[in-house]
Amino acid sequence: MTEQARILIVDDEPQLTRVLRMGLKSRGYDVRAAADGLAGFEAFTDWHPDLVITDLAMPNVDGLELCRRVRAVSQVPIIVLSAKGEEKTKVEALDLGADDFITKPFGIDELLARVRASLRRANAPATNEKTPTILDSGDFHVDLESREITVRGKPVHLTPKEYDLLVYFIRHAGKVLTHRTLLAAMWGGNYVEQNEYLRVFVGNLRKKLEPDLATPRYILTEPWIGYRFDPGN
Amino acid sequence: MRRSVLDQRWAGYVVAALGVLASTLVLKLIGNHVNAATVSLALLLNVLFIATRWGSLPALAASIFAMLCFNFFFLPPFGTFNIAATDNWIALVAFLITAVTAGQLSGRAKRRAEEAEVGRREIERLYAELRDAFERASHAEALRQSENLKSALLDAVTHDLRTPLTSIKASITTLLDEARGRLDGEAPLALDAESKMEMMEVIDEESDRLSRFINGLIELARIEAGELQLRRHWGAVDEIISAALLRAKPLTSQHHLEFDIAKELPGVKVDERAVSEVVYTLVENAAKYSSAGSTIRIAAQRAGDESIQMSVEDEGRGVPVELRERVFDKFFRATRDGDISTQQPSGTGMGLAIAKGIVEAHEGKIWIESGARGRGTRVVFTLPIGDE
Repeated sequence: MTEQARILIVDDEPQLTRVLRMGLKSRGYDVRAAADGLAGFEAFTDWHPDLVITDLAMPNVDGLELCRRVRAVSQVPIIVLSAKGEEKTKVEALDLGADDFITKPFGIDELLARVRASLRRANAPATNEKTPTILDSGDFHVDLESREITVRGKPVHLTPKEYDLLVYFIRHAGKVLTHRTLLAAMWGGNYVEQNEYLRVFVGNLRKKLEPDLATPRYILTEPWIGYRFDPGN
Repeated sequence: MRRSVLDQRWAGYVVAALGVLASTLVLKLIGNHVNAATVSLALLLNVLFIATRWGSLPALAASIFAMLCFNFFFLPPFGTFNIAATDNWIALVAFLITAVTAGQLSGRAKRRAEEAEVGRREIERLYAELRDAFERASHAEALRQSENLKSALLDAVTHDLRTPLTSIKASITTLLDEARGRLDGEAPLALDAESKMEMMEVIDEESDRLSRFINGLIELARIEAGELQLRRHWGAVDEIISAALLRAKPLTSQHHLEFDIAKELPGVKVDERAVSEVVYTLVENAAKYSSAGSTIRIAAQRAGDESIQMSVEDEGRGVPVELRERVFDKFFRATRDGDISTQQPSGTGMGLAIAKGIVEAHEGKIWIESGARGRGTRVVFTLPIGDE
């Protein structure tokens, strides 16, 4: 499936789109490129790609606006290309619905890994629709009815809020979740600035879930941005 | 401010006593037939003077002392504090009340005046403080703006360094993957020879771009530090233009070039390479910001006895009047910072800044006007011909 996936690249740097197009094509993806957000959105509506890779700073319609427009009509994964120092714009893009980001300059392998992860997530069967009471993801097994969780086969006891946070993470595995998104989902819109709540609960969850606290492998910190959940194998 | 002896309150009491005594003496010398009303008015004058000069307490003392003198010397029987007639009692009491009241009122007026003076000084002090604070605030604001400018410049520079680096990194990692895959005997990537060649071309072009950008930075830094070393020689304007056009040939292949070079132009004593760089930058901009197939006009003529004038004109969208000065600022890009939305690529924001630096180092001028038909951009610069 992913071998034939259609990827739309939106960047105003012709050299970069040339290279990315060739790099992705060599991996069997079907690739199109657009030079700004406006042309990008036109290509998106005409061509229906499976994934969008977009730069943030572009003339006419920028990357943020493109994220907003795409999200208004579709759930396809969006990866934003950003530069170090653009944290604020990056967070804004993620809050607007982008799934992941990659910081320039990057190697093609890093981009390909993000592309594969995003496509896998988008193509994963909607588990909670088929088996509405069970959530299985990597090392995690959640019985949504009895609210029981096992990690690597061992039961784990969580407080109600920790349980909610973990289920939210599992349902959005692999995606970068901004502090704002997590706070709004857990505590509601009035608490989106209270990062310390999140730090406490993530700390508690890590104590109960992670085999090695010094190098967390499930709840990964994206500095200044938020967290990304990796369910393991 | 040093207070004199007369400003002391005790001086008030002394003056009060002396004043009343002196008045009494003068009145006594005039004679006993001076009537009581004259005496009381004269003594009252003393009290008023003391009140306006030293305030209410010395005035009160003056009032009582004057009353005693009035009684002792001027109300019969003279030389005693006794009073014979009832109407004299009334005169004495009336004098005392008038003296005390007048003294207190004048004293209060004096105090008010002093308070008003203190208030005025306070307002002046506050005004001065406010002015200082305002000056400090404007200084801080200027600093903040300069910091903002610095960080905007840094952003611009890092963006221009990172963009080509990203293309290079993405190309080279793709090529490496392909080479490693072949070494490890994995299924080969679908990267044909043509794509590989294209990637290497990208690496080559983007390395050149990085190099150009860095050279530009160095050039700008030199100009700003006033270290631009001009190597002035006598040269021909048409040769300078030809050298620039030869360099710009790959950029202008899609445009028509038109020339209007005056015949018999004098030689100019300039740094030919630097001036050729200015012409190249202007032609490069003209090609970049006007559509393929349009015309670029290059002109050179005399401007008065001591200068020559050169210009490069395109048929592009032109530069709005309000941006015509700013486009010479370093890192300013009309297409990115000036709200001119366009599909065209934006440059590094250094070309015109460097051109201006070179022209000004030759004591020339550079400016932008609209093209001859009211559209497009015409960049004009003048150069002094130079001394023998």
